[in-house]
Amino acid sequence: MAINKQHAIDPDKCTACTICITACPVTAATRKFRGPKMTGPALTRLRKLVSDDDPMLDYCSNCKTCDLVCPSGVPISTLNMIAKNEYYKTHPRKSKADDMLAHSEKMGKLITALPLGSTFANLGMSVGKSFGVMGAMGIAQDAKMPSYASESFISKFKKIKQTPYPRKVVFFSGCYINYNQPEVGTDLVKVYQKNKIEVAIDENFVCCGSPMVSGGYIDDARVNASKNTALLKSWVDRGYDIVTACTSCGLMLKQEYQELFDFEGMAEYAAHMYDSIEYLAKLHDDGQFDTDFANDNTKYIYHAPCHLKVQAIGRPSMELLPMIPGIDIEEADVGCCGISGSYGFKADKHEIAMKVGSKLFNRIKNSHAKLGVCECGTCRLQMENGSGVKAIHPLTVLRQAYGL
Amino acid sequence: MKKSDILIIGNGISGLFAACIAADMGKKVQILSYGAGTLTIGGGIIDVLGYDDQGKFIADPLKGMDGISANHPYAKTGAQTAKKALEAFLKITEEEGYPYLGSPDKNLWLPTAVGNFKPTCLVPRTMDTEALFKADNILVVGFDTMKDFYADMATKNLRERLSKNKNVEEFIVKLNFEYGRDLRDISAMDVARWLETDEGHRSFVDQVKGHVKANTAIVLPPVLGLEPNYKVLDSLKKELSCALIEVSSLPPAVTGTRLNKMLHSCAKKRGVQIIEKARVVGSEIIDGKCQAVITEGFDRQRKFYAEQFILATGGVYGGGIIAKIGAMSEPIFNIDIEVPKVQTDWSYKQLFADKKQIFAQYGVSVDENLTPVAADGSKPASNVKVVGRSLAGYDFCYEKSGNGVALITAYKAAAAFCGEA
Repeated sequence: MAINKQHAIDPDKCTACTICITACPVTAATRKFRGPKMTGPALTRLRKLVSDDDPMLDYCSNCKTCDLVCPSGVPISTLNMIAKNEYYKTHPRKSKADDMLAHSEKMGKLITALPLGSTFANLGMSVGKSFGVMGAMGIAQDAKMPSYASESFISKFKKIKQTPYPRKVVFFSGCYINYNQPEVGTDLVKVYQKNKIEVAIDENFVCCGSPMVSGGYIDDARVNASKNTALLKSWVDRGYDIVTACTSCGLMLKQEYQELFDFEGMAEYAAHMYDSIEYLAKLHDDGQFDTDFANDNTKYIYHAPCHLKVQAIGRPSMELLPMIPGIDIEEADVGCCGISGSYGFKADKHEIAMKVGSKLFNRIKNSHAKLGVCECGTCRLQMENGSGVKAIHPLTVLRQAYGL
Repeated sequence: MKKSDILIIGNGISGLFAACIAADMGKKVQILSYGAGTLTIGGGIIDVLGYDDQGKFIADPLKGMDGISANHPYAKTGAQTAKKALEAFLKITEEEGYPYLGSPDKNLWLPTAVGNFKPTCLVPRTMDTEALFKADNILVVGFDTMKDFYADMATKNLRERLSKNKNVEEFIVKLNFEYGRDLRDISAMDVARWLETDEGHRSFVDQVKGHVKANTAIVLPPVLGLEPNYKVLDSLKKELSCALIEVSSLPPAVTGTRLNKMLHSCAKKRGVQIIEKARVVGSEIIDGKCQAVITEGFDRQRKFYAEQFILATGGVYGGGIIAKIGAMSEPIFNIDIEVPKVQTDWSYKQLFADKKQIFAQYGVSVDENLTPVAADGSKPASNVKVVGRSLAGYDFCYEKSGNGVALITAYKAAAAFCGEA
């Protein structure tokens, strides 16, 4: 069914036109990266003949801007990720932080399971930073790391009393919302309830695998994909739609699984997958979106995450949020923020990430907006880190406008 | 995604320009794009019509359109529309702070990367080629480790082609970039980024200044910044007291990137909604009218409804036309394009023949309103217009009409859909 699937194994679809080079944010920031065309399709052809020895691979952040601009539908970034996975089977890792950042779910589970675990973990991070421990672990000294919540979203969700409705979705919260920003998850439930949607969760979902793929741990991601695919398919079989509020989880579950793996049911559940705001925009198209908003006279600046842009769904947040009376919202429209999930936290990538994001940071500062808006958790962190302006999820803007 | 007035498929130069024109006339416009369009690998200059069918130079492109062969896109638009379209483009470049030079009724001779000259019509101010012909001294500036521009070759050829009383010299700027196995080669884009920094600007001025004599024009590869403005050009001009002229060059294209950014900015300001990565796979046609086009990705099909549709998906290279052995077709409206069954009949043996290449002229046939016409003479959809590289009947490379056909047909389609002739 997935028409692009064939390209995942066919670098010859690349006509070497160089459009991706003109768009790649990492290429613009550093000459340590050869660029998407060479590292991706061009070298993939050679990799069919000889074993790979290209350390530049490590610099691809999997932001997917190359895929976005390619006129031939080549999944350039995924070719890079496959090659990175192979490369690290025979080469030492550049960064000690790779393992920890790729398996962030482990850490989240551990910390939120302990009483006062988040307090000590957050404290530990700031103490660790001042003693240079983070640096020794391969984490950039001045990168602002996500802090852990005292209670996971799953735990919070169980306490929410919902009104049952015939329209039902299962919410794949993902690690960031579950362990770092559970309030975004509760915002989703409140906003969806207001729109007469019942929200379910599944405690058996595991990390989507996005940080594993970009860290070169595709084999670990495969294990997770196998678990998630079976669960997601069973929800769809029971008549549920699937929503995500993290654009990287959404992209991984619906697209990258299909590019990388071959599990039964992936295309079937993908047909029922939606970004959380896209789902509401679809309700709006059907005349069923609740617009009972209070005034919001705040000035916002919206940043579209790269992983939203490649989903071919446009900018659903820029369709819905401007409907709030009094709102002043504009799109930043200056490209990647630089963080690319966990890329910007690594000691050897942090400077590149900040350089990539510098246009966005300046744009936010010059806009004099009170708040940034973005669907992606680590993009929000990067926006705050680079501009000093707090950033929130569009669901939070909607929840406030509903007066909930 | 409510229904739009005009839906444009493709965001290359023709799609973006059609969107700007239609949005200016008050229409609600949506663009579906799959990939960035080949604009960013092109030279960012507007060729309109440089040579006739016999290869004779045309001084006035508008006059050259008289008596052009009947299946050429210009035969459908006419010189009047061409003039309006190019003037509308010039107006946009003014508004966007990146004004182009030139006039629709006059061709310019622009230096190329090898030191030859090609006819073109509208160019950014970084390619003010008339300044080159006025100067007594030409200084060809190259960069020591940059790919794809050989100053010695350009110098030698310019010396041969320009009048004998011009003094043509060569100078190589040292970039002093780090170089090594763990660093990639240096392209024009890297040098353009360098010239945007204070350090690069200073270094360039310090190295070049001593070689600039009175009445000098500097000829250099396209490196004068990646943003659609003239900050780099104007500051260098001021400090060096001379003209600077970028040559047309190879991709990845600095000048094409600037034009792409400018058109995007223009479209966004006019409220044009762009949906990226939306691969259009088909259309829904009822009673000879297109109701919607259908996109397909990794999740599901979606329908996009509109009153009118503009097909601006490009040619074979841009993905708008599918070529197979002995067959060619436009995949969205399912239009077969008549081509010889024997592949060797598609081209002359010599790629750069002294006449228009056969394959280059393949594309979608249209009537005088740019409405597509199938091989059997039927019209699949009356509310569809085809623009730009998807069109049959021209060889942009031979006649130097690239981007001109795109702008002029895009203008005609958009204006017609907005009720203008």
